[in-house]
Amino acid sequence: MVFILKPVPLWVEFNLNFNPMKTVFRIAALLCLTLSFSSCDDFLEVNPPYAQDAENYFRTPEDYQRALVGAYDLLQSSFLSVWIGEIASDNTIAGGESFNDTQGLHQIDGMQHGAVNTELRNVFRWNYAGIGRVNFIMENKDNIDFPGKAQLLAEARFLRAFYYFELTKFFGDVPLIVDERLGIEEAAQRPRAAQSDVYAQIVADLQASIPDLSTIASQKGRVTKAAAQALLGKAYLYQNKYSDALPVFEEIIQSGQFALHPNYSELWTLVNEQNSETIFSVEYSGLEGGSYGCLVCLEGNAGPGFHGIRQYTGPVYGDGNSYNLPTAELYSAFAPIDPRRNATVLDIEAFIAAQPNPAAITYAIGGGGHTGYYNNKYIKRQGEIGLPDNDLTSPLNYKVIRYADVLLMAAEAHLMTGNKPQAQQYVNQVRSRVQIPGISVNSIDDILKERRLELSCEGHRFFDLVRTGKAADFIPGFVPSKHELFPIPQVEIDLAGGSWMQNPGY
Amino acid sequence: MFRFLLGFSLLALPLMTNLSAQVIKGLVSDSKGQPIPFVNVVSKGSGSGTQTDLNGIFQLNLSDSSAATLEFSAIGFKRQSLPISGSEFLKVTLQEDVQRLSEYQMVGYGTSSRKEMTAASSQVEGEDLTKLNVSRMDQALQGQMAGVTVTTNSGSPGGSSSIRIRGLSTFGDNDPLILVDGVVYDSEGLNALNPSDIESVQVLKDASAGIYGVRAANGVILVTTKQGKKGAPMRISYDGYAGIQQTARQLNLLNAQEYAVIKNEMFAMGGQPLPFNNTNVGVGTPWQDSVFSTAPIQSHQLGIQGGSEKSTYSMGLGYFSQDGIVGGNKSHFSRYNGRLNFSHVLSKRVRFNSVLLFSSEFRRTLPENGIGSVLYNTINAFPTAPVRLPDGRFSYLEEVNDIINPIAQIQNQYNGVQTMKWVGKEEVEIDILKGLTFTNRFNFNYASLQNKVFSPLVWYGPGKFANTAINEQLESPMVAIADSFMVERGAAVYEENTSFLDLSYEGFLNYETTIAEHHKLKGLLGFSLFERKGESLSGIAYGIPNNSLEFADISANTAAGGFLNNTFSWEFTERLLSYFGRVEYAYKEKYMVSALLRRDGSSKFGPNNRYGWFPTIAGAWVISDEAFYSSSFIDYLKLRSSVGLSGNDQIPNFAYRALLNGEGVYVFDDVITSGVAIGTAANPDLKWESTLQMNVGVDLSLFNTLQLALDVYEKRTSNLLFQPDVSALIGSYGPGGFPPVINAGDVLNRGFELELAYQTPVRSPFQFSGKYTFGMVHNEVLSVPVGIDYLPGAAFGVGGDVATRFQVGQPIGYFFGFETNGVFQTQDQIDNAPQQDGAQPGDLIFVDQNGDGVINFNDDSDKAFLGSPIPDFTMGLMLNAGFKGFDLSLNLYAAVGQEAIRNYERQQPFANQLDYVIDRWVGPGSTNEHPRLTTEPTRNAIFSSYFVEDASFLRVRNIQLGYSFPAKWLSKLKIQGIRIYGSVNNAFTFTAYKGFDPEFSSASILSAGVDNGFYPQARSFMGGVQLKF
Repeated sequence: MVFILKPVPLWVEFNLNFNPMKTVFRIAALLCLTLSFSSCDDFLEVNPPYAQDAENYFRTPEDYQRALVGAYDLLQSSFLSVWIGEIASDNTIAGGESFNDTQGLHQIDGMQHGAVNTELRNVFRWNYAGIGRVNFIMENKDNIDFPGKAQLLAEARFLRAFYYFELTKFFGDVPLIVDERLGIEEAAQRPRAAQSDVYAQIVADLQASIPDLSTIASQKGRVTKAAAQALLGKAYLYQNKYSDALPVFEEIIQSGQFALHPNYSELWTLVNEQNSETIFSVEYSGLEGGSYGCLVCLEGNAGPGFHGIRQYTGPVYGDGNSYNLPTAELYSAFAPIDPRRNATVLDIEAFIAAQPNPAAITYAIGGGGHTGYYNNKYIKRQGEIGLPDNDLTSPLNYKVIRYADVLLMAAEAHLMTGNKPQAQQYVNQVRSRVQIPGISVNSIDDILKERRLELSCEGHRFFDLVRTGKAADFIPGFVPSKHELFPIPQVEIDLAGGSWMQNPGY
Repeated sequence: MFRFLLGFSLLALPLMTNLSAQVIKGLVSDSKGQPIPFVNVVSKGSGSGTQTDLNGIFQLNLSDSSAATLEFSAIGFKRQSLPISGSEFLKVTLQEDVQRLSEYQMVGYGTSSRKEMTAASSQVEGEDLTKLNVSRMDQALQGQMAGVTVTTNSGSPGGSSSIRIRGLSTFGDNDPLILVDGVVYDSEGLNALNPSDIESVQVLKDASAGIYGVRAANGVILVTTKQGKKGAPMRISYDGYAGIQQTARQLNLLNAQEYAVIKNEMFAMGGQPLPFNNTNVGVGTPWQDSVFSTAPIQSHQLGIQGGSEKSTYSMGLGYFSQDGIVGGNKSHFSRYNGRLNFSHVLSKRVRFNSVLLFSSEFRRTLPENGIGSVLYNTINAFPTAPVRLPDGRFSYLEEVNDIINPIAQIQNQYNGVQTMKWVGKEEVEIDILKGLTFTNRFNFNYASLQNKVFSPLVWYGPGKFANTAINEQLESPMVAIADSFMVERGAAVYEENTSFLDLSYEGFLNYETTIAEHHKLKGLLGFSLFERKGESLSGIAYGIPNNSLEFADISANTAAGGFLNNTFSWEFTERLLSYFGRVEYAYKEKYMVSALLRRDGSSKFGPNNRYGWFPTIAGAWVISDEAFYSSSFIDYLKLRSSVGLSGNDQIPNFAYRALLNGEGVYVFDDVITSGVAIGTAANPDLKWESTLQMNVGVDLSLFNTLQLALDVYEKRTSNLLFQPDVSALIGSYGPGGFPPVINAGDVLNRGFELELAYQTPVRSPFQFSGKYTFGMVHNEVLSVPVGIDYLPGAAFGVGGDVATRFQVGQPIGYFFGFETNGVFQTQDQIDNAPQQDGAQPGDLIFVDQNGDGVINFNDDSDKAFLGSPIPDFTMGLMLNAGFKGFDLSLNLYAAVGQEAIRNYERQQPFANQLDYVIDRWVGPGSTNEHPRLTTEPTRNAIFSSYFVEDASFLRVRNIQLGYSFPAKWLSKLKIQGIRIYGSVNNAFTFTAYKGFDPEFSSASILSAGVDNGFYPQARSFMGGVQLKF
């Protein structure tokens, strides 16, 4: 019976004093006695040594902090949403080594994508991974209390809202999982929730987080009150709830906390990645880029590496993979005097011709398409090193929401609620930063045009066109009532039990 | 060795001269009156025993002979019991028994006579294993048992094999449970087991293996080590052999001139400049001659055994050493073994048995069977390049980045694993009542592995993937450890210390009684506890001084600040708690039924599904014992059947719960900040796979010389343990995240087995025996997890398509790709064929499987089943003949109907090729088999049936000719027996397969049919001597 009650110590003792002959008899004698009794079952209660377990975690404030870091991690995968937001639009083409290089992007580029698309599946998987990590925290939020817990949970809620916003932007109705982790069986029974319910969850999370978030980030990269407000306003805008959006944007503007950075082209360099215009950015590092094998594992920004000039040797820029290439149409949409043109689009031949020794500069044209233009906002530049594979990543952060975007969103909200003068004032505030003349704002088309000039190559264009109902006017091959949403990956429908209806048209 | 001694040694053993009160003497002879030597004579009451001498005489001392019963047993004779009273001289006649019905067989926690067995099992004697002169038991088992398929995973010294009992039943681990004297052995750990220590090997193939419960689904192999015999005098034996090994085959590669001509044509066809101005370049470098070498092999085994009335002992000492036919001592295995089996009668009711096995082994390996392995590089190296340039440096083979000089590669390998293993069993048997025995068994298995790998700075040429230096001067690369802070990497050394300790206790009661003469009842009730602990500590250190092996130790590292150095560790514990019972009933040895039940609890599973019940029932009917039975030629006929459930728990520990070993890393304040995240998602309902198996078998004996066993079976494995893709909603696809392990999928194995054995009567002057085994299995995946079409396996080429799959309706690991139908001869033919984009005359014709008029290269709609690595059937044939001191034996093995993927050809313009390309297409009508050669892009190199070959083969595994010196010569030398022999292993292989060796496998079942330049089994020529004192 001694053995039954305390199985572990005996074995431990035995391991230390390894003396078979002597111990055999002792153990045997003890165990003989137990033969007639049942329940040695405690013997099987083995815990993983020196490993933390999901079920008995969250015992200290640090545990919560560390889990929150894990939830932030998936923000770094948003480079893919940014690509698709541009490639699907009229701004850029997919590019790359060949048409088989990241085939899913080429299909999206041509509006020929279907339900089998690795990139769309990654968007679906990665954002749900982020949601799962937030839910893991929220599920255990009441374990202990500690100072700073409200701010921590508010950051977590923001992240969940962010990931759901990405999902509903791409796929419309998506299953809602809140404060729980699903097993295989449960996942197969979870229906898609109506987009309005998804937005309700996003709004609820953001509204709950705003009071608890600090105005100034305790660390660069942390979610702030303004970040949550801006995302909330954006979520309203995507639902055409202009009157709800307006006060939220106004609160950010009236706070006086933000100002447009005086030099537009400097906004995109590593040294200026944190500036007066920053509301929320995804942070990256240059020290642990990772490898092509696991893009979701990267700590560096894959955007610049992929956008970089293929096999480039020369000044200023670095070698890259010629993805996400701006079209000539985008280049010509800018007025030549608009400094945003060259800040946004790199005309490679013009750039080379302007260098002191053009003949020494070489680069290659990828088989996946060539326009002569490169994404100059997120591009591989010399000195912005992403280790260990410098043509893969860069430490440059990704500006999710910056003040100019907030001004233009506020302008849109004003316009749609009938306040044209205020809308025009905000639009021209954005234009005056680059010293170009103001315009008069009469319709949503004026706002959209300005958003394109200000924000192209930042991942907004496709979604802006879709939410304003203008996509068919600008995107070749765009089929209304179909391409507003991307298809749910077929494999995800199958894995979730096969009961979800595919989005219309696919 | 028994058989050899039998015929040739006439030396009389000294009679025992114990002068105690009761001495029983007697003579044992056969039905013709010939005395039988070496008959075991045991007193059933006291357990004391002896053996007959060469004249069939025995003498046994008994402390109390008042009511003793003596039991006589010998191989080839029926067991006989004789009650004795007094001390008259006994005359005992034993009946010959070719069917060996009374021999004991292991059934798990007990024994059964062959006649009473209800299980489907096969047995091999240790002698039949050692005869093959191989280092591992599994290699020796090949072909010896029907339904047990053994395929080599590597022909390198110490390379493992895949043992598959009755097909492949699971996606994961298909290794059977191996028990050496009841101690769990991993099949990976079989290197430690000395074949010379083995008395016999028995395989439980059917549901009767269920007595081992949750680990028995892949079958159970019971190994018994050698034991001494009671009352037998001390015997010393020495077995040794030495020999040389060489490759049995070289590939037919292009020589330099052929290469130059072919490559010129290839470049010309591609519209590129010709690489060779002069194609008259002779034969060039035969790379295979440089890589393959003749390598030594040797083995020395010393055995001592004997016994007194109360004790028996058997000791073994062994040494084995082998170098590789590739790389010489860079590919090496050596082993020292020690063994001690000891039994002692402690008192009238208590017996003690002990087994101790020690081994120390050392193994060095080369990169093998992969892209970038030594043989892969050998095949693809250019015959126009020398091994070394005149200045002494190795040639760089610069035209293909991924091919490096194989000789340089061999030279730069420095690794070694030293493994020590202590295995033991300590057992006390107590007779509680008449017929009731209580066995206490304590087992341990301690293994310690020390691994060291030295990675020098090497330079294979510009742009080579395997370079660790940055230039020919072997300068070290610099590594950034922080912004603008670079340190020198230097040469590295990796060291690892890993140990495993298994401890187990088994306690069980055996009861045996006979009621009313004809009703035999046996019962078993027991329980066992098993624990395995493993722990590992390893480290890697950089900056090894002088780039030299001389300083290859972590202690010598000079890494700046130690910044790059790293340490790793892991630890685990797993446990098993089991209760088991069995009831066997036999009426007149004619009708047998048995039922067993085991309850297993495993710490691998969560509380929801921790315990499982594994029942089996079996029955047998000896028809030939019936009164109505009369047949002149079938003199023994028995029908057997069993059905039962067994399990498989071979998954990682703690897979049922979510550990926080994912990656949760983000950047705050520009500093990389580590958090936590769930790694593998939890599945609290996880449970074992279960295999339901049904078996029907017949044992029969023809003309009293030929024995036949036939079995048909069906095995259905369900709840397969998988880690397939799951719904994104589970949240498993973040960094470091993995889907949960789940139970899903079913696999069917259905098969037929036959074993046929013939032996001339024991006493005839010309001895001949033979055994033939035949097994066929139909393997089919019945279901895969919901929402998954198939599970992908190995890739073809470099970064190529997935070529093998696990898919419903197909065998595990079948090949899937485009089917070819010859070569396009003319443009006209292309125009009239289904649309095949880019096709030109000379290209392979792909078959339009779905008949839509287009060959679809972007999806699977035109791909088809191209083959399977699982043979349709396998056969083994063992023949032994002996006459007047000479003996000859032959061992053949054949596997028929399996296919292999030729994946050792680098699809690069400059890579060397097999000489079949000489028969390439060069114009209409030239060939319909091999496509044209060109450097321009074609689809001829995508995975198709062009790369799938029939890998059927017949192999003469061993030929041995021996001579035993006549005993009359030896008696003066006080030697009992001397036998010398010559032996050839892997003498001939008949196959159409083009690769090095048609017999290859992989521990990963989905890679089993993909040949990346397999390290072939050597052909060895050996001479040996066996001495007995």
